[in-house]
Amino acid sequence: MKRLLIIILFLLFAVAAKAQIAIDTLSSEALNELLIEQVERMAEDSDDDIDYEELLDNYIFLSDNPINLNSDDMVQLMELHLINAFQYEELKKYRRYYGDFMFLDELAMVEGFDEQTIEIIRPLVCVGQDNGKDKITFKKMARYGKHQILGRYEQVLEKQQGYLPTTDSALLAKPNSRYLGCPQKLQFRYTYNYRNRIRAGIVVEKDAGEMFFTDKVSDTIKALLGKKYSRGFDFIGFHLYAKDLGIVKAAVLGDYQLSFGQGLTLWSGMTFGKAGAGSSVMKQARGISPKSSASEYAFMRGAAVTLGKGPFSGTVFYSNRLVDANISIADTLDNEAEYISSLQETGYHRTIGELLDRHAIRQQIVGGHLSFAIAHFEVGYTAHHTWLSVPLELRPSHYNQFYFQGRQLTNQGIDFKYVKGKYAVFGEVAMSMNFDSTALRQAQGPLAFAGLVGLTVKPAGYLNFTLMYRDYGKMYQNLYSNAFGEGSRNQGQRGIYLGVEAAPAPYWNILAYADLFQFTWLTSQVNAPSRGHDFYLRVSHSFNRRTNAYLQFRSKTKMKNSTDGQVFSHYPIFYTKNTVRFNISYQIVGDLHCSNKAEYAHYRNDDGSNEHGYFLCQDIAYKPEHLPFSLTFRYAIFDAKDYNARVYAYENDVLYSFSVPALYGKGMRFYLLGKVKLFNSLTLYARIGRTIYSDRNTVGTGLSQIEGNHKTDLKVEAIWKL
Amino acid sequence: MKRLLLLIAIITLTSTLFASDFIHIMGGRAAAMGGSSVASQGLWAMQNNPAGMANLDKISFGLYYENRWLLPETAYKCGAFALPIKKVGCLGVSFNQFGSSKYNENKIGLAYARDFGRYLQIGLQLDYLIMKIGNDYGTFQAFTFELGIQSHVTDKLTLGTYIFNPVSFKFKQTLNHEKLPIVFRFGLAYQFTKDFVGQCEIEKNTERSGVSLRGGLEYEAFKNFFIRAGVQSNPGILSFGLGYGIRFAQINVAAQLHNELGASLQIGMIFSIGK
Repeated sequence: MKRLLIIILFLLFAVAAKAQIAIDTLSSEALNELLIEQVERMAEDSDDDIDYEELLDNYIFLSDNPINLNSDDMVQLMELHLINAFQYEELKKYRRYYGDFMFLDELAMVEGFDEQTIEIIRPLVCVGQDNGKDKITFKKMARYGKHQILGRYEQVLEKQQGYLPTTDSALLAKPNSRYLGCPQKLQFRYTYNYRNRIRAGIVVEKDAGEMFFTDKVSDTIKALLGKKYSRGFDFIGFHLYAKDLGIVKAAVLGDYQLSFGQGLTLWSGMTFGKAGAGSSVMKQARGISPKSSASEYAFMRGAAVTLGKGPFSGTVFYSNRLVDANISIADTLDNEAEYISSLQETGYHRTIGELLDRHAIRQQIVGGHLSFAIAHFEVGYTAHHTWLSVPLELRPSHYNQFYFQGRQLTNQGIDFKYVKGKYAVFGEVAMSMNFDSTALRQAQGPLAFAGLVGLTVKPAGYLNFTLMYRDYGKMYQNLYSNAFGEGSRNQGQRGIYLGVEAAPAPYWNILAYADLFQFTWLTSQVNAPSRGHDFYLRVSHSFNRRTNAYLQFRSKTKMKNSTDGQVFSHYPIFYTKNTVRFNISYQIVGDLHCSNKAEYAHYRNDDGSNEHGYFLCQDIAYKPEHLPFSLTFRYAIFDAKDYNARVYAYENDVLYSFSVPALYGKGMRFYLLGKVKLFNSLTLYARIGRTIYSDRNTVGTGLSQIEGNHKTDLKVEAIWKL
Repeated sequence: MKRLLLLIAIITLTSTLFASDFIHIMGGRAAAMGGSSVASQGLWAMQNNPAGMANLDKISFGLYYENRWLLPETAYKCGAFALPIKKVGCLGVSFNQFGSSKYNENKIGLAYARDFGRYLQIGLQLDYLIMKIGNDYGTFQAFTFELGIQSHVTDKLTLGTYIFNPVSFKFKQTLNHEKLPIVFRFGLAYQFTKDFVGQCEIEKNTERSGVSLRGGLEYEAFKNFFIRAGVQSNPGILSFGLGYGIRFAQINVAAQLHNELGASLQIGMIFSIGK
């Protein structure tokens, strides 16, 4: 298998030498750097796995299908926080006064568009006539539509614990001690796009360890799995999306994401969280968007449509999806009642246990959104109702007693936004209604509230402040909220945020924020209401067009239970993590880019001891303009005693894929990424990365444990564009 | 007696860090500037970041002596020779030694650096390392290499990166599992004005805990006469020094102060032949 791959790669490289000249997607270094920054901040903020693929999908889609500067689609740049609300307003103003853009360079004359912003958005925009209202015909769709096929293979080359041979009886005794499938991860995807107005796609995926066509399991295991036994692609999704068809502003069938207002009532997809700091704390909702990635959690499956006329628009949607959950049976006096103890969010179906939980219950959501928008003002109302086919009953604990439980949940919210001149005001209030309450909640009533309000002031072109207050009730329950906050849960939290963005001198930028927060109820591993703060400062400087550097400080203090074994009950105490990062990137010659990064993380334990983490790396990217290939290489060393002082490092990856490993322990890591463009339509990527530890002889834990001091990951991808 | 005690103390202190002194900043200028040197040029760049000798235009020969903690037993000695060849690059050989007859570390290096235009210089040094422990404990050897790049990204800013032993070569045999470290550093030099330079860098040595930060300043007070100062963390050292250059020779002296271990003195001389 390996040898075959090598031969194929070799052949392809040989062919590539004759291929044509082509330009890379995401070729803009400025855009790439912004993306890296966003992702690293998201990774630091979240303990969960984030679906970065969705974010990257959006960027790649835009760079493949640039937005017309003269169309209303420019709002999409605001959705990705590439421009802020003021810049968007200025853009509209410019068009009102001077008419449509004739050249891209006119952007420099729009107030608030500095060199850096233009550099970032340049690859994503174009100048043309606004033909968004053209009639769509099948003939045109066939002629101008773009097709894309993607195939990706990835694998950890070392043998992991979960793949070691075992016997049936051993497996039956410990059913979750092995993965049933093969260690390859595969994904295929087909997408179609006609002028950004009609989009369609199919994606199939199999994670590492999930059963594929070639895997065989014994009859006993098969019998144990029963109906849950399935081979082949574990995830299959599709979408069909259209927009701007007369009164129909957007319509989708299949998998999609919804986002409205500030995300407190409904925001199903990816969001920037605190990564969108400064003036981009105010969110720009996307409404309906198709989901083309293979992530298996937090999306809608069904249909949605947005109709609009004049200042009014309305959306209705319905989603019906099987989700993973652990079903238990409670013996009551009368009969047996099924309930679930948790909803599984990983999307992995590798072990017997994970397979038994697969698609265990049905989740239905129905809802809608109404909005009224005039020149500077926008107000919206969102409502949705969720049903689970089996009620959720969490394992009782103090911290989770206000979490959503039961079978049904209703959410409603009102959001508003006003942007004019030097001011932007935004906010959302939301309400949850859970009538399936337990006795305790009945005492408090089924209703709970949450709200946020914010203000951004721009006293001068180079300076803006944002102040935001949030108060999410401790009983506010929502399975699909994703508003600004500390941690991933918009519940039981109060906070005040102050952010500043400034350009005090040419080529200097400052971004700073302070977020003070309180948890009004216990949280996981925090046995009392707690509080904390998050301070951030980033100073960046451009030495010239090719050389950029930044220095970043972050200090975050949160409370967590003391781990002191002497005490009778665990009480929360403060923990602080400080990080300092320096990054410099420069272009040596046209084709050769380098960057260096140094990061220091410091974590203070409750016994007063300190943990330190260090990371240094050198990146070299060779991207010749007139040759159809590129190479990216990284060499890094890291030294962090423990997970607490871990360091996140974004790595370049094959297109549409992400890698942000959290490094800790002691060792080095390198990767080599190659890209070859063949015949102008076919692009191949291959990436190999290896982490070598000097302080341990096993890598990882549990089923992913590897005997040895290194871990090697390989990815190969092909993208065919028609 | 006091000296002997101190020596014993140092050797016990550094015994956990055995063999990490192969890689030491050389040159009187670097020593005076807190050890910052990854973005510097000149003959001693051969030891500190070989990319920095890519633009040498004269045949040069240098000697360096560091009287570390004012003890002959912990002295560094270094000699280097560089031969620039037009259109090929710059070749160099170097030898350096730390320690005394009871314990010493030696490095023989063969260096090559090349200039790829203003924006890129690359340097490579192949190393043969010998660690000798007295009283018949034996001699231990290792081969490795070091790599560096530098780039003059603007008129004022120079960036440099340097890695010693990037693929983690090991000693062929060891007495007590002594490891050869990986040393990674990068930093910059900024020419504030024609006569004033600031440098800073960060270094990670895999056999030491933490990172070392270094910074230094150089001011050309009179023509060809330089005043320098610098600071370094982990270990915390303050340094200062003087330098004087004429057409065919340069002399640089430096002093470094450590709170516990006291002072170290450095002197370096470079002679160059040619126009």
